[in-house]
Amino acid sequence: MAKAMFIDTSICIGCKGCQVACKEWWNLAPTKTTQVGTYENPLDLNADNYTRIRFNEYEASGKVRWLFLKWGCLQCTNAACVDVCPTAALKKNEIGFVSLERDLCNGCGYCSQACPFNIPRMETINEFTGEAKATKCTFCQDRVTNDLTPACVKTCPSAALGFTDRDKVLATAKTRVENLKQLGYTEARVYGETELGGLGRVYVLTAPASAYGLPEKPEYPALTNLWQNIVQPFGYVAAGLTAAGLALNWFATRRAQLGNVETIKPEK
Amino acid sequence: MSSMATDLQTRARQVLVLRFTGAERVAHWVHFVAFTVLLGTGLFIYAPFLKAFAVGEAGIATRLAHRVAAIAFIAAPVFYLVFSPRDFFYSLKESFTWGKDDWGWLQNAWNYYAHGKAGTMPPQGKYNAGQKFNALTQIITFGLFVITGFVMWFGKGSVSPDVFMWSVVIHDLSVIATVLLFMLHLYLVAVHPLMRESITAMFEGTVTEEFAKEHHGKWLAEKVYRKRDK
Ligand code: HEM
Repeated sequence: MAKAMFIDTSICIGCKGCQVACKEWWNLAPTKTTQVGTYENPLDLNADNYTRIRFNEYEASGKVRWLFLKWGCLQCTNAACVDVCPTAALKKNEIGFVSLERDLCNGCGYCSQACPFNIPRMETINEFTGEAKATKCTFCQDRVTNDLTPACVKTCPSAALGFTDRDKVLATAKTRVENLKQLGYTEARVYGETELGGLGRVYVLTAPASAYGLPEKPEYPALTNLWQNIVQPFGYVAAGLTAAGLALNWFATRRAQLGNVETIKPEK
Repeated sequence: MSSMATDLQTRARQVLVLRFTGAERVAHWVHFVAFTVLLGTGLFIYAPFLKAFAVGEAGIATRLAHRVAAIAFIAAPVFYLVFSPRDFFYSLKESFTWGKDDWGWLQNAWNYYAHGKAGTMPPQGKYNAGQKFNALTQIITFGLFVITGFVMWFGKGSVSPDVFMWSVVIHDLSVIATVLLFMLHLYLVAVHPLMRESITAMFEGTVTEEFAKEHHGKWLAEKVYRKRDK
């Protein structure tokens, strides 16, 4: 049964406990932070930060408020990263996340370029040899496949995060949106129910998606489609037809050649 | 009646025509090996049924081999230019010079190469229209391979994902274009019943006078005999 991560941005307090729990569980190295006038840090995902809280200021009806967005791999159902991965290091897991097997990854980085949300980050080991490993949130694949919740969910002090059956998550999210609307958050909505076949992260938003820096309608990358489903198959067909043409040519030429050859055979 | 062995010196003298200089042949074979390795190591990533070679440590080695071969791939024409500049520019110019004899070749090619019928096949220069087409494709895709290859090598993160993905698409289209011609090229020099002699030009540098007459008559008359008879 597919599960999902419930993320209620209306009660997230931006404490970043989830970031810390993630780093602890995955034993990730600390990274240098940058002071930009808010507590937002790090300012982007990287090979040592699989999740982070994005800070956005939002002004509506004369009031300014913070929008906190817990960010990380959205675990698409129609996952472009899985389709472009040449090693199957990335796979769709039936629990509802995209698993990542580090040993299988060869560092090509196609996933990092195909992702419509710009999530996977390469841990570059050597720029010249190209040696690298892809990194991303897997909902703590070792935990969730053993009936535990992701480390970030476990640690969240405001219960803004949850992890359970996707149906239940969606039902809770919808009820929550209704409540928020009654409370005056008229723009409240669910994000993730149908996007890209359904996301593993289901968000309760209190403002339009764009206010959070989320794409209103995320789309499967057209170039990935062109490359994988048109160009590559075309290559096989073209090579096959060429081979057939050459075989045809060989038989024709051989016939013409033998027509002009006389072979003398030795006595039996 | 019996026939006896003869001295080499008394047999009819064989006339050979120099087609490719040493430097040209070295450049050609470096290009050949680099291309083959690039193709092999690239296909591991392209083709799902070769996945076993693309996974983990093996995949890292495959990708490294692709990079090493890319350097050799770039070095081959540079070597050609440095050690045989006149032939380099002559061949380059020839590839871009198309005239009515080339269209004549194209019109007669199938009958000639499949049925051995000369028809109205006009005499060809040092390179026939097919060889020119092959060379042109190699030249154009060389540029595309280098640009897109380096974007894919060093560009992750510094170019936009769209530029990266276009690079992959163009890299693959270049692969397809060159592979089709590579198949044809291999077939003609190594398998085609009537063309096997052409390969000695790349191994030994020479072909027999008869072969040159048959396949590169214009070149023989204009560039070989005229110089010899001067
Ligand atoms: C200067 C020359 C070249 C450079 C720098 C280059 C570089 C690259 C790079 C960086 C990749 C991405 C995978 C990776 O990161 O390891 C790649 C993929 C590939 N290359 Fe090249 N390459 C070159 C020439 C060629 C040639 C001549 C061929 C074949 C005839 C070739 C065939 C391929 C193929 C088939 C792929 C896989 C594409 C896919 O996944 O669909 N490359 N190359």
